[in-house]
Amino acid sequence: MAQIKLQNIAHSYNPNSVDSKYALKPFDMTWVDGGRYAILGPSGCGKSTMLNIMSGIVKPSEGRLLFDGVDVTDETTSDRNIAQVFQFPVIYGTMTVHDNLAFPLVCRGYDKSFIESKVNEVAEALSLEGLLSQSARKLTADQKQLISLGRGLVRDNVAAILMDEPLTVIDPDLKFRLRRKLKEINQKYQSTLIYVTHDQNEAMTFAENIIVMDDGEIVQVGSPAELFDRPRTTFVGYFIGAPAMNLFECDVVDSNSIKFGSEKISTETDLKSVNGENIKLGIRAEYVQLMKSSAKNTVQAKVESVDDWGNHKLISANFEGNIIKVKVKREVEVPAENVYLRFPTNNCCIYENEILVP
Amino acid sequence: MGTFYTTLKYTAVTIWSMFVIAPFLWALSTSFKDFNSVTSGATYIPWVDFEPTLEGWRVLLRSPAQGGVNIVEPYLNSIFVTCLASFISILLGTLAAYALSRYTFKAGFIKNDDITFFFISQRIMPPVVLAIPFFIMLGKLGLLDTLLGLVMVYVVLLMPIAVWIMVDFFNKVPVEIDETALIDGCNPIQAFFKVVLPNSIPGMVVAGLFCMIFGWTDFFFAFILTFTEVQLLPVAIVSLNSSITPWWSLSAAALVSVAPLIVVAFIVERYLSKGNLSGALK
Amino acid sequence: MTLIASNLTTKGKEEFFLNDISFEMSPGKIYTIIGRTLSGKTTLLKTIAGLIAQDSGTLSFNGNNFDVIPVWKRQVAMVYQQFINYPHLNVYDNIAFPLKQRKVDLAEIKDRVKQAIEQVGLEGFEERKIQALSGGQQQRVALARSLVKNANILLLDEPLVNLDYKLREQLREEFKKIFSSKASEEAILIYSTTDPIEAMQLGGEVIVMDEGKILQQGSAKEIYENPRSTKVAEITNDPAMNLFDGEINGKKITLNNEVILNIPKHFKDLPDGKYSFGIRASGVTLDKSGFPFQIELAEISGSETFLHLNNDQIHVVGLLDAVKNFNIGETVKVSFDIEKLYAFGSDGILMSSPYSGTK
Repeated sequence: MAQIKLQNIAHSYNPNSVDSKYALKPFDMTWVDGGRYAILGPSGCGKSTMLNIMSGIVKPSEGRLLFDGVDVTDETTSDRNIAQVFQFPVIYGTMTVHDNLAFPLVCRGYDKSFIESKVNEVAEALSLEGLLSQSARKLTADQKQLISLGRGLVRDNVAAILMDEPLTVIDPDLKFRLRRKLKEINQKYQSTLIYVTHDQNEAMTFAENIIVMDDGEIVQVGSPAELFDRPRTTFVGYFIGAPAMNLFECDVVDSNSIKFGSEKISTETDLKSVNGENIKLGIRAEYVQLMKSSAKNTVQAKVESVDDWGNHKLISANFEGNIIKVKVKREVEVPAENVYLRFPTNNCCIYENEILVP
Repeated sequence: MGTFYTTLKYTAVTIWSMFVIAPFLWALSTSFKDFNSVTSGATYIPWVDFEPTLEGWRVLLRSPAQGGVNIVEPYLNSIFVTCLASFISILLGTLAAYALSRYTFKAGFIKNDDITFFFISQRIMPPVVLAIPFFIMLGKLGLLDTLLGLVMVYVVLLMPIAVWIMVDFFNKVPVEIDETALIDGCNPIQAFFKVVLPNSIPGMVVAGLFCMIFGWTDFFFAFILTFTEVQLLPVAIVSLNSSITPWWSLSAAALVSVAPLIVVAFIVERYLSKGNLSGALK
Repeated sequence: MTLIASNLTTKGKEEFFLNDISFEMSPGKIYTIIGRTLSGKTTLLKTIAGLIAQDSGTLSFNGNNFDVIPVWKRQVAMVYQQFINYPHLNVYDNIAFPLKQRKVDLAEIKDRVKQAIEQVGLEGFEERKIQALSGGQQQRVALARSLVKNANILLLDEPLVNLDYKLREQLREEFKKIFSSKASEEAILIYSTTDPIEAMQLGGEVIVMDEGKILQQGSAKEIYENPRSTKVAEITNDPAMNLFDGEINGKKITLNNEVILNIPKHFKDLPDGKYSFGIRASGVTLDKSGFPFQIELAEISGSETFLHLNNDQIHVVGLLDAVKNFNIGETVKVSFDIEKLYAFGSDGILMSSPYSGTK
């Protein structure tokens, strides 16, 4: 267990070439001991590179990596006390579950009674007690993935458990079970969990803190609620949430209102310092309110389509050429023609050059 | 730290290369020696340790009447037999392998895997076992001591290798590619030639390389199934030997016989790494 | 131009791949087959394509027996969940392949390929090798190749499952647009998926499959409101519908001997006795006057939080209309919205749904 600090880390896969492009642009980041993190982004955004730098598979071309203040940048993966779980479960098929779990300790030469107590403890935590004497090859995918995880947990000095899309090969029904185990493990052992994924749902359900990455850069770090309510860039607004955040071009009118088409919309954002060109209004489809009649902060729009999403309905409404998406509960009656849509002042995010105005 | 490992790496590679290259260099220098330079202790550097001579090489081109052993004709024979046998093996082997990979065969307890094993099991048998049957069969067909007879025997020996490599290759090509071709309007034969075959070239190149190596280096059948009319290179080289071992001409012949394989290996290696075709089908 | 299947059956060693499948599909519509992995979706699509022959039953298309027509003569197109393209051809030649195979004349091939490339948004990639494309682009090529031949039947076998989450969402929207123009052109579109949300969002006719059988067919709305059986309710909801054993006794409902509820109006015709009751997560909410449950796991999803709850007897998933963090093991009070309760018979068949009246 340790606090992990990335100091001015950057990485380029061919640093010496003329057009060297950063796979990971320089950044600082501290991972709090015992935290539960998700690194989220589209493929090729640098999220796996970041994970591999921490595990030691990739040596960063710039910057230092500190575990509890000790520089480990040049140390190999095996010296770093990192446990890693990959997309595909890694198990020793010829061994029993017990021997799989014991393997990291046997290799390090611990004595037998210690190994036994440790293996039993971890097996119990992962609900694998009943399977200890079985051959690991015959287990289901999620059980195999638990063993991969368990091999990390038996070593009590691991600094962090790193996971690269560990639920990819798991059936949807079983994903829940594994996520729950991960959270329990995190609470019980207070070990730092870092989880890489492209699936915003998985990140949201798993992590306390989400690191959103795009094009080699960290665009936002925050709790699921922060990312959802106050996305720091329009990219985060687009990437988090289904459907993506509504984004409309608009103009600043005064210090707390903007002009969206022909309507004036007030926000709680202080717009005094904003005078740029590229101004956008962002609002979640979940936060747009369906009104009976015209009111303050309301636009009148024409319903183009209503999609049945089961528990929800998704309304697409046209307001002066802008398509506003509104997500409402199934029970809500949607008028066939015109709707009044209210934009609550506290839910309106204003973006200047794609960056949130605080 | 880094430079230390680099140095270590290059040292290891250099030592290894020396192990590989030394026999060739030794053969090369021996081929230019005469009787005295070979028998009177080890000599290494031409013009310093010994006086080079072309005698060893000349023997290979001289006709038997002039006291030489002409290897030009056996050389051409070997090229002909190896290439033709490899070609036929790859052709038949690829078709057989495709069928084994894509269609289910069943005859009692014998299934696809058993048939594949049956092919490769031909190679497990010691060649000696086959010598007499081959001899009798070729005799009945009047093909003893002919190039055609040798080609037939080599196809029997080489095709299992082709089948084995190609079955493995086809098993890694997703069957959905064939299906897509069918859906796109190809009948099964068109699907094979238009889609499957163009994507199988890497596998065929590898299989071809193995066939050529095994065909080219075979001595046993070349020796048993020929007498006076035709001769293949390995047999010709052995016939160089006499009561006084002519190390110089043996070395020269060894170099000449290994040359085509080296050339083929280089071409194949280039081809496989350049196109990275083996990675194209995942 | 209808596709009719009657009693299609294909048996494996022990299990049925297809078990007595019958349907009628008409052009201009999207049919979404939803089922878990190994439920027979792929087998059904491949049977329609002609890649797998059924053991018994018949397929007919446009009044003709479809079974006697080999794959390469059927007017079908298929997109797989793996990104299947011809690796030895570039993007243009990949898309042109089916047309060249049908000996369409070159000028027309050019036009149609160009149009297909525009439809899937791959302009500028014509000369690229397949291996130099991302997964999403490869799947666009496969889609373009299936669109270009104007097939009568377009089969899509979980085409988005191997793509990034957000890309999936984006492509699904694009697919929907392409399909709506395509569907109006008299093609039958069949799309298979495991994802209930995807099935809902595509908005066509939904066919629910399990263990090789069609469990229910109907509009997305119909299947959401009146799932025919507990199995359908599980497959077509994410998270799966909560199901309990219980009984109706006079004016009360008892779930797992534990939770006692008043009987809702729509159950008034049900006689006393044993039933299975179902309720979606959205019908289970926090309520100070409710039943005590322990939090097993709380998962945030957008502006909502899913609560996995249990007590001694019951495991249930609830939904909180806000974002909130809970500790594992924390006790909360939960109420069940009886107006959203479903009742299924002991054989699992739907007896009463909250939407019964609106049927």
